[in-house]
Amino acid sequence: MSDDAREIASRVLRAVDGGDAEAHVLCERSGLERFASSEVHQPTLIENCVVTLRVIRDGKIGTASTNRIDDTGLKQLAQRAAEAADSAVAEEGFPGLPDPQPLPEVDGYDEAVAAIGPEDQAKHARAAIEASPDIGQFGFFTSGVTDLAIVSSAGVEAHQSMTDATTLVVSADDGSSGYATQTSWSAGGVDPASVGREAAEKAGRTRDAKTIAPAPYRAVLEPYAFADLINYFGYDAFGANGLLEERSYLAGRLGEKIMDEKVSISDDALDPRGLPKRFDFEGVPKQRVQLIENGVARGVVWDRTSAARAGDGHETTGHAPPPVYRQYGPLTFALAVDGGEVDSIEELCELVGDGIYVTRLHYLGIVDPREGVITGMTRDGTFRIRDGKIAEPLVNLRFTVSVPQMLEDVPGLGREQQLVNSSDFYGERYPTGALVPAIATARFNITGVGSAPGL
Amino acid sequence: MDAALGAGATYADARAVVRRSQAVATKNGRVENVTDLETEGIGVRVLVGGAWGFACDRRLVAEGARDAALRACAFALAAAGRGAKGLAPPAATSGTYRTPVEKDPFTVSLSEKVDLCVRAEEALRHPDVKVTEAFVRAQRENKVLVTSDGAEIEQEVVETGGGIDALAAGDGGFQMRSYPSAHGGSSAQGGWEYVENLGLEREAPRVAEQAAALLRADVCPPGVTTVVIDAEQMELQVHESVGHPIELDRVYGSEASYAGTSFLKPGDLGSLRYGSDKMNITADSTTPGGLGTFGFDDEGVPARREPIVVEGVLRNFLTSRETAERLGAGEGGSMRADGWNRMPLIRMTNLHLEPGEGSFEDLLADVDDGIYLETNKSWSIDDKRLNFQFGTQIAWEITKGKLGRMLRDATYTGITPKFWGSLDAVAGPEAWHLQGLTNCGKGQPGQGAHVSHGASPCRFRGVQVGVKA
Repeated sequence: MSDDAREIASRVLRAVDGGDAEAHVLCERSGLERFASSEVHQPTLIENCVVTLRVIRDGKIGTASTNRIDDTGLKQLAQRAAEAADSAVAEEGFPGLPDPQPLPEVDGYDEAVAAIGPEDQAKHARAAIEASPDIGQFGFFTSGVTDLAIVSSAGVEAHQSMTDATTLVVSADDGSSGYATQTSWSAGGVDPASVGREAAEKAGRTRDAKTIAPAPYRAVLEPYAFADLINYFGYDAFGANGLLEERSYLAGRLGEKIMDEKVSISDDALDPRGLPKRFDFEGVPKQRVQLIENGVARGVVWDRTSAARAGDGHETTGHAPPPVYRQYGPLTFALAVDGGEVDSIEELCELVGDGIYVTRLHYLGIVDPREGVITGMTRDGTFRIRDGKIAEPLVNLRFTVSVPQMLEDVPGLGREQQLVNSSDFYGERYPTGALVPAIATARFNITGVGSAPGL
Repeated sequence: MDAALGAGATYADARAVVRRSQAVATKNGRVENVTDLETEGIGVRVLVGGAWGFACDRRLVAEGARDAALRACAFALAAAGRGAKGLAPPAATSGTYRTPVEKDPFTVSLSEKVDLCVRAEEALRHPDVKVTEAFVRAQRENKVLVTSDGAEIEQEVVETGGGIDALAAGDGGFQMRSYPSAHGGSSAQGGWEYVENLGLEREAPRVAEQAAALLRADVCPPGVTTVVIDAEQMELQVHESVGHPIELDRVYGSEASYAGTSFLKPGDLGSLRYGSDKMNITADSTTPGGLGTFGFDDEGVPARREPIVVEGVLRNFLTSRETAERLGAGEGGSMRADGWNRMPLIRMTNLHLEPGEGSFEDLLADVDDGIYLETNKSWSIDDKRLNFQFGTQIAWEITKGKLGRMLRDATYTGITPKFWGSLDAVAGPEAWHLQGLTNCGKGQPGQGAHVSHGASPCRFRGVQVGVKA
């Protein structure tokens, strides 16, 4: 990384004329080699540094950003942020900028990933493609380095360099498709060829898919599917704003048993098996937060603003979002569902007995946040489970489920947790993922039937 | 361009982009967000030995441009899999485009924007409304495109938008109403006059009252019935079940790993029955005020208006120069990139359902027993754009041609061609309405697109409503 985020952040602060200030600098160097029909079609190399400045004057807050990091650009940034602050209305109860606190040391940076250049990215994409020459490969290999620095006039000096790499493959032709993906911050955590093989193997079992009648089914969800569902549920359910505004499932239900006692969910950005983070976007240390413990709703994540608004002794848990997303309140970026006691997918299927098997979900929509109702489609590997074994392939299915209801009766959870990338790489790169096991549920409500897998 | 061609590119294009945007949001009487963002840089796309490459640089100087071009060429040379690629003939050589603006939104101070939000939000106050929100936005993008075909194009696109939300909660329930649209209001190409004419303050009391009333409304009952759908929800229906499937890159599988493919095949052109003969869809990148309006797309192809579905039959796809050449039909014209650091992709321009005849009341008059659905609440559609399910913020019973009791938590679901085949009436031009959305996602790395749709309220027969968890 040629640009030093810390040095840029310090220069930003020096450009501010009056008031408190907090500067975020996020520098990215990444490559994404995207392929379709086993041919690279959208290869993208990105280098950028985005500087975001929050200025507080007399309790009024304004934010500006730029990627012009010369002195002129930063001086103009400071002026625009000050003008934005002067235009705002003083926020009653604003807790001010945080004082500096010791930050945890975390993993999350691997020099071997940082060293992956464009030719290596192309080589890894080629490995995923060539892992299965008999079927079209669609997906990408990406790796990147993200350097994040936050400094403030209150003395915060937070910095972290992060690496991440992901391979994602859909193997598909007319009438069959399979999916696999791996994400890691370390080079050893992603094997593109194995991802390519897994997707192709799955695709090979989906031909001649059958249909089924819409109804509630017992089901096994692979980590890919379960992670997607939990992330969507978490957008509303696990942030403080949803609780305070009485629009989330957890509003009025804290302390109640809302799920099977096998289910425990946390947000844990410190876990080295995830994509670790030292601090949030206010420079506050990340904390592990227990959200669901043995089925009981225990809490949500907070930032300083939401904690101050709650006014009943709550404190930040280190979950402030990026400044331009601050209106959405604190967010979970590192959900983790505890693993269970089931050693294999095969055993989960045995626990289900008769039901369906879901590899991946598509295009989720939140139907009713208050009841945790989400709809979406299954995709790239849906099967019938008969007599405790994966049986014939099924067409893509529409589901409409209340997530808490789906988790009320959980016959089993896989022992192994898998890191599933939850970033689609919109905007600036900030790698996030969820650590989840495969799960067996007694109720997965199928409400419609879609098309056969494949192109 | 010189650097790319010197490094072996057989085709290259370069876009220098400067984008500035402002956003203001207030919530429950507090100013939640006052932001002033800018970003600039250059993106270079090259074709080397039959493989694409793209790289970008934030430095808008010659060194940054050269570096981006050379890295793009090196990336293309390293790519796996390459086949001969043709591009439909270039149409443009030079040109300019500027959004017509009466009142430059960047001459309107942030203080005035804050005041507008505060006033609108105050008008949303209601005892049952727990959260009130108002927001406005403005964006200006200056873009210069040069291509190795000789195009030199300069464009300035200005967008503005705004909206209000009222969230009512009580007795364990939660309901929301929005204006002029859900999920971030509505935007248009144009000056600040668009925001002023939205009438956010004027509409706020109705929005709040309806949000509160929904708390006490009955749930939409399940069943198969006649539905009348308002223009706004129809615009999302067009977007999801027509706009995305007709993107030719999806038809060819380019989006298979993320956004998905399409139920349409190249051979469907000219013959596939998409819907009833009441269904007429037009792609129009010249629509005044449309977010998908431009002088030239990001390959330099001039803006145009072209029929997509005529009396229910598929007549055109949305194309790039590469996919048009592959299909042997079309000329491109739909390539758009999200800023300087993303590759152009086939994106919707402005896609409209052409008006029919008669009024909204005429649509209701021919319904003995049905449901009227208004304002999107949730949306989901499968990877081939066939099986969809939408929820709306509010609904009403239709009984003997008149609106009856209010209903909450309404959903409807269907299969795209069957659903459009059940279209039996589209209201006329007086009820036609243009709306701009700013949250359309596609591509890896992800790209957002801004697009407008026009539609009138429509009536469909035999639709499944009231899907339950």
